[in-house]
Formats: sequence, structure tokens, C-alpha cells
Amino acid sequence: MAVDRRKVAVFSGAFVLRLLLVCLFPSLPDLLTGRVEVSTPVNSFKRLQEGLFLYIRNVSPYDGGVYHQAPLLLPLFALLPDVKSSPFPTAILYFLVDLLNAHALSTISESGQSVKSRLHSAMRKHIRWDGVSIAAWFLFNPFTIATCLARSTSVFTTTGILYAVSNAVEGNSINAILALGFASYLSLYPALLFLPLVLLCYDQQSQTSKTPSYAVYFLQHAAILLGSVGGLLGLSSIITGNLWEFISATYGFHLLVPDLTPNVGLWWYFFIEMFDSFREFFIGVFWLHLAAYVGGLTARMRSQPLFIITSLLGVFAVFKPYPSISDASLYFALLPLYRHLFPLMRYTFFAVAALLYSSLLGPAFYHLWIYAGSGNANFFYAITLVWSLGLSILLADSIFAALRDEWEQANPESQGQEVKQI
Amino acid sequence: MTVPSILSLFLAIIVTLWISPVVSSPDYHEQLFLEPLPKSSLLASFNFRGNTSQQSFDNQHFRYFPRALGQILQHAHAKEVHLRFTTGRWDADSWGSRPWNGSKEGGTGVELWAWIDAPNDEEAFAKWITLTQSLSGLFCASMNFVDSTRTTRPVASFEPMGNHMGPNSLHLLHGTLPGEVVCTENLTPFLKLLPCKGKTGISTLFDGHKLFDAAWQSMSVDVQPICSAEGDCQVQIEQTVDMVLDIERSKRSRDDPIPRPLPNDQLVCDTSKPYNSEDTCYPLEKAADKAWSLNEVFGRTLNGICPLADSNEQSVCLRVPHEKSIFTTQGASEIKHDDGFTRCFSLPHSEPFDLSIPEQEVHTQVPIDEPVLHAERTIVGHGQERGGMRIIFGNPSDTAAVDFIYFESLPWFLRPYIHTLQATITGKDGVRREIPASDIVTDTYYRPAIDRERGTQLELALSVPAASTVTLTYDFEKAVLRYTEYPPDANRGFNVAPAVIRVLDGADAHPIYIRTTSLLLPLPTPDFSMPYNVIILTSTVIALAFGTIFNILVRRVVSAEEAALLNSQTFKARLVGKLVAIRDRFVKKETKVE
Repeated sequence: MAVDRRKVAVFSGAFVLRLLLVCLFPSLPDLLTGRVEVSTPVNSFKRLQEGLFLYIRNVSPYDGGVYHQAPLLLPLFALLPDVKSSPFPTAILYFLVDLLNAHALSTISESGQSVKSRLHSAMRKHIRWDGVSIAAWFLFNPFTIATCLARSTSVFTTTGILYAVSNAVEGNSINAILALGFASYLSLYPALLFLPLVLLCYDQQSQTSKTPSYAVYFLQHAAILLGSVGGLLGLSSIITGNLWEFISATYGFHLLVPDLTPNVGLWWYFFIEMFDSFREFFIGVFWLHLAAYVGGLTARMRSQPLFIITSLLGVFAVFKPYPSISDASLYFALLPLYRHLFPLMRYTFFAVAALLYSSLLGPAFYHLWIYAGSGNANFFYAITLVWSLGLSILLADSIFAALRDEWEQANPESQGQEVKQI
Repeated sequence: MTVPSILSLFLAIIVTLWISPVVSSPDYHEQLFLEPLPKSSLLASFNFRGNTSQQSFDNQHFRYFPRALGQILQHAHAKEVHLRFTTGRWDADSWGSRPWNGSKEGGTGVELWAWIDAPNDEEAFAKWITLTQSLSGLFCASMNFVDSTRTTRPVASFEPMGNHMGPNSLHLLHGTLPGEVVCTENLTPFLKLLPCKGKTGISTLFDGHKLFDAAWQSMSVDVQPICSAEGDCQVQIEQTVDMVLDIERSKRSRDDPIPRPLPNDQLVCDTSKPYNSEDTCYPLEKAADKAWSLNEVFGRTLNGICPLADSNEQSVCLRVPHEKSIFTTQGASEIKHDDGFTRCFSLPHSEPFDLSIPEQEVHTQVPIDEPVLHAERTIVGHGQERGGMRIIFGNPSDTAAVDFIYFESLPWFLRPYIHTLQATITGKDGVRREIPASDIVTDTYYRPAIDRERGTQLELALSVPAASTVTLTYDFEKAVLRYTEYPPDANRGFNVAPAVIRVLDGADAHPIYIRTTSLLLPLPTPDFSMPYNVIILTSTVIALAFGTIFNILVRRVVSAEEAALLNSQTFKARLVGKLVAIRDRFVKKETKVE
């Protein structure tokens, strides 16, 4: 089959490219692991190594300030050979995880959910990329490659989210919620995707079979999510022996943001400069702000649950406490599903220019601050502002395009006309 | 007075007379030891030791023991306390092994460790805080800043020096302040603890200007119980001051401290240099040691002996070859020891004493003890993001391996990655080889830091083979702090406490301690001038995103013509339209209700 051959070519090409990069530049993975744009305190591979070192020697890795990742990663990586002496098994594991993610993406794309769902059907269905192109776009995105080579553990969260969505579009609601439970267990914030994901499952299932009412369906799946997260937590407490210790070191760390290592997000510098008495208040405000998008988007765009998930992932890439470029790469992976919306977007050039500008100048300004000493923290901070601004413009613009598409569906006679919002 | 009462009084006197010699009478000793070191330095080591019986200590009957300190120790339930104030660096390459084998020495700044009697860890820590706060007041030092992040509980690096009897559950706590500047305000309370308070005896030589101008100085206070085999205990306080003075520098008068070059005719030039000429000179060091006297070096004369000390004591000792002639003031008697170098002086009771050594050439040299281990610790790497620690251990002995405990306590904002610990060894052949760290490290105790709660504690039991140099390295990351956590001079960097090395020498009862120098750790700094700007700018970006997205979400999409139509209406018409819409809504509701 022609399509399969293309897919094999793309997947093997991506694999070979990664392998070549690792073989030709053996110091590249360690270099990328040290970059603040790629590794944050909650996904850094170096911190995982330290946690693993303590775990193997029967010291609790959570009784310290370095390791803040999920306990289940420890026995998984303990199975792999030592990275220092044989880096390839670990690297190949990450390559395979990337390919898995790409496979899930192509499944999502081929389902056509992005253009036609139960309550919505886009006007420009013909403008779209097939699954292989979207997988290729994901696999050859430099942000994805950098994340993969840096062996950041957020790729596992990405896997959880993408499998949740791909199972949902195929109608396997239980598998979808279990995958979401896995992602939430790893990094907490994917739990916010629960609402749109349940809506997506509901839409898919009600097309094929009779489904119970919203409330019952919602409660059933909430129970599954709680059960899966609870099961994983139980397993973790067997591994670490102390439930509360690892919960406060992982989820407490996500929630309270005690580590202010620079990253591409907005939180770190804000909370460095925040007055002590207002710190807790603003942490609350920032989390509330992040959660507010769930309600707003779900209420307005009920007919396109997959689009809500995509937009929320964009929101997380900007506003979560420890964002890295891997979050942006996940958003960029899902955005091409809405290729049919691109003609409706207004500020594409500006957003793309801002993103390119900040991804090129970010490392330079970081170098000026930390190594050259000729710039100060404001240089890098300014770049993170531009990055966040670029992403949020892209986000707002895509939401506008989606709403306009909905409007055109309601008013087919006025397709292509100028619109305004009042 | 009744007969029984007289009898009991009599008995009491008898008992007192009988007991007192057994409990060994309270005593007090003081001694000054002087030794000229190479490079025109002079080691002056002062030692003051007083004993009090445990009984009178418990009854708050203080004679030689300072009351202020005694009450603090009783209040904090501290059974054994060691306090150190140190500045400068001991130059082991030229001066040899350390005085007292390093056991009376601290790391740069202030170091304090104590064995505290408490039922559990929490209470021990509470008492430790009491102790540090009180000592802080007593010694005018910032020991109140020894909080949980600067406190460790070493496992193998320290052993009690005293004899602890009874069923006490003792907790060892250790704290350091590497950034503390030791100066005269610490010397004055130190002198007040002495029975003669710096008025007579060898303590009259202490002059803050000279003491803290030394190349290296260390003040120590040790309190420990000393028990005999029968079980009688005494509480001993030992205070020492060790310093290495630069003789030439100390001899400069206080009124004119600016060093001046030697006049040309007094210069001794190295004539073998090719550029040596009338106006170009490579000055040679003089072969003979510099002439000096106590008065010149310390700026004061020694004012008799402390009347509380043993009057026959030889309280000043000097280690120079016997062939050197030395002049002292009248009334002092000199006793030469058999080792060929040491001579001691008994001082006149109430007259000033001075001692002077003229410049003279001698043929014998005082041998310098080679230290058993050389240790050096540095921070490597550049940039403010991450770095590495490098510790070099050199074993000078050609025959024996040296075993020791390496102890370091790191501040929490220095995050070590202990999995990166690597060892290299340079043997006799001079070839550098990488070896697994486990070949050198026999035992590890590691307690990682928790942000803002406690620091890292690392204790390694190491063994360095004969005639080799071992280098240990590990990576660390530097944390970014909140802007209120930086000191005013944030860009100077943060002090990292020196590492403590305890050499394990089974045969020797006295442990050998070596401390590395303290380190300066530069951290990345935010811009301190703009908290408001950052709050405003970040909030603007968030408001922009939130505003745009929710603006898009809550508004209705209409075509441009409709919008223009709506806009073209007059204000009045629009207002009326709105009102009509609101009315319609209500009417609709009413109809629904009906």
C-alpha cells in the first residue's frame, strides 16, 4: 500500500535522523539536557539520573530537593543500562516513544475528527493534511527532536495525552481516560483536559451506540480517571514506601512552584521578583487563571471538543508553571489538524515571526546573562515574554478562526465575507 | 548550738577536707608556645585550660569556669561544646603540619559543634537553637544565623573528646558560618572568659590589631567533661588562640604602617641574574631569620603571670635551635629540653617579661613536620548556571595509605549531582587514570538538601594509596533564589563552608583534622531594581492573552455588513434597541412562566 510505504519512510527517516544526530554529535544529548528551554526541574533527565542513583542505593529520592518526577519512572529507568557507559538503549527508547506519539497523531488525523464531528462540520474540509504529513510535521519539528534528544520525561506525558485523544476519537472511552490518568499521574496538569476529553468520547460514542445522559456518562468516566490515578499512586507508594513524601515532592512541587530555575514560561521571574507576602496569593491566581480556560473554551466551543483540547494544550504551553519547548511542540503537533482554519487566521505572520525571533534570540540572551555577564536577567525574561506573547497570539487567532468557521457553517451564504465580533 | 549541729558541722568539714583532694582541686594552666616558621613567619600558640568539678559546675559554683558560658551550657543541656573562630589560611606547603594536629582549628569563619543531651532529634534541635542564640550574644558573632539549613548532624567526622558517663542520649549538631568576619568584637568576650581577663599573664599580649592582622589565626573554646577511671568527673574549659604572624609586617609601628622599600645600599642583590646592574636588582632573601622580640611583634609586653595559675609553671616556650642565643628580661629562668630545640621560661611574678632573638646565622634548622595529607577544594567551571566541585587529596607518604573521613556541608542553593561523582588517580608514575569512585570511597553518607529547609551533608570514607594524588569531581547546579533571599552584595557570591577531613590513624589517640579553604559561589542574580516592572509586564502579557481569548469567546460573530449596520445607527437608536431586547427577554420569561 502506497500510504503505508510513505508512513514507513517518514518514521524510519525520523528514526535515522535522530540516530545520526546522536552518533555524529555524541555530546549533543548532554548539551540539550542542560538547556533551560528544554529541561525544567520537573522533566530534566539529569535530575532523573540523580533520583535513579539514590533509588538504586535505597535512599529515598524524594527526601531531597532534586528529584520531582513520578516514582514509576524510577523502576522503568532502573531496567535500562547505565547511561554514561551505554547511552544508546535509553536514546532508542526515547526515539520509539516519539514514533509512538507520531503514530497516535496520525490516527487522530485520519479519523477526520478535526473537520467533521457529531455537532460540527467544517466548511473547508478539502484543505487538510493527511496523517502521514502531520506525523512528519511532528517528527521533524526541531522542538520535538530537541526534546527527544534531551531525554526529557515530558515525552511520556505527551504520549499519555496523544493516546488519550487517539483512543477517544476511535470511541474507546475507557482506554482514553486510562491514558489521561497516566498523563495526569506524570505531570498533574493533563487532568484539566478531562472535561473536553469526556465530551469528545461522548460525541464519538453517541454516533455509534446509545449513550446515557451527560451527567451519568461524566460521573462514570470521572470514576475511571480517579480509579486509574489512584491505582498508579498506590503502585507508587509501594515503590517509594511513603505516599505523602512523594506526593508533596511531585504534585506539591508542581502546585507551589518553589524552584525558580529559568524556563520559557512566565512564572519563574514573576515569583523571583514577587513580594513574599503576596506569593501564595499570586500562585493561587496563576493556577486559577490556567484553569479558567477550561470552562470558557468548553462552554463556547462545545461542538468541537478536539479543538478545545488543542487550544488547552496551547494554553498549557504558555501558562503552566514549568513549561518547556516540549509543551509547545505538542501544541504545534495538534495545530496542523486544523489546517482548514489557516486561511481564516489573521495574525499568522506576526505570531510566527515572534516565535522564530524568540527561539533564536532566547539562547543568545540566556548566554549573555549567565555566561558572558554582559546582559542581566531581564534579557532572557524579555524573550520569554515575547515567546508567550507569540504563542498566545497564535492561540487567540486560531480560536477566532474556529469560531468564524462555526459561524460560516451557520450562515453558509456568507462564506468568505469579512466578519466582525460584537 | 546543739551537740548534733556541731557534730554535723564537724563532719561536714571532715568530709570536705577528705573529698577535695580526691575530686582533684580545681586548677588553671596557661602556656604560650612560639615557633618561628619559614618565610619570616612566627607561630604563636596560646593555651588556657581550667577545670571545675562536675559537682560544683552543677551547683553553679564557678571559679575557673566562666559563669556566663556555664549557665548557657546548662540551659541548653550541652554536654560538650567546641567553638572556633578562624580567619586566613594555613600554608601547609611552607609551614608543615598544623598546630594541635588541626584539632583546635575551625573552618574560615565560625564553626560550632556540640553534643546535646535530649530525648529526641526535635528537642535536640530546639536546644541547639537556644545554644546558638545564646552564644551569639555572648561572643558578638552572628551564630543566630545557624538555622536548619546550616546545621548538620555528622555521622563519622567527629567523636566526643570528653568522657561522657551515664545514660545520656547525646546528639551531635554541627553548624558553620563561613562568611562570618572574625574580629576584635569576638576577641573581647573571649578574653572575658579567662580568669585573668587579659590583665596579667600571657593573655596581656592579645592586641586585636595584631591578632586579626595575622596571616592565619584561630580562636577556640572547648568545653568537655573529663572523667577519671573511678568516675569522678570534671568539666574542662580549654581556650586556645593560634596565629601565624608575619614578623616584618607585625614589626611595623602602628603610627606608620605603610611598608617602605629598603634603601638601595641595604639591598642584597642576586648578581647571577643577567639584568643585574647598578639600577636593576633582584633582591635575595636573607639566609638568617629576622630579629624580633615579643614587644615588637605583639606591640605589648607580657605583664607577669596570672596569679591563679601554677606559679612554677613554665608558661612561655620557644622552639628554636639551642645554639641560638636569646635575651630575656631579668628574673626569668630558662630550661632547655633534651630534644635540641624547645626551651621554656619561668616568668617573674609581677614584672613585665620580654624576649628577643637577634638576627643570627645558625647551622641547624628546626625540622618541619610533613602533613599526613594535602587537601585542596576548588569550584571549577564557568557561568552562573552550573559548576563542578574538585577536591584533590595528596598522600605524601611513600609507604602507607591514608584513610580519612571527608565531610562537607553544602548550602541548599548549591545542588550537587552525586551520580556524577568521578575519581581520578595519579600514582607514582605520574599517569592520570580514571577509576570508579567506589575504588577510593569505602563508605558514603549522603543526605541531600531540601530547598530552604536543610543543606546537603556528604560524608565519604576515603583511602588514598601511598604516593598518589586522588581527584574527586562532581557537578552541581546553582539555584536561582527569590530576590529577597539575596544579601545586599548579591554579586559578590555566597560562601560555601570548608570541608572537614578527619584522618583516621588508629595508633594515635589524638585525631588529625584538616580543613580546606572556604569557597565563593557566584549565583545567577535577577534584576533587583524592578520587581514592580516585572509584575506589571508579566501581568500585561497574561491579561493580553486572557483578554483576547475571552473577548473572542464571549462575542458574537457577525458579517462586516451587519456590524456596519449596527454601528451606523445613532446612539439613541442603539440604546432603544438594547432596551427593547431586554424587555423582550423579560416578556419571553413571563410568557414561559405563564
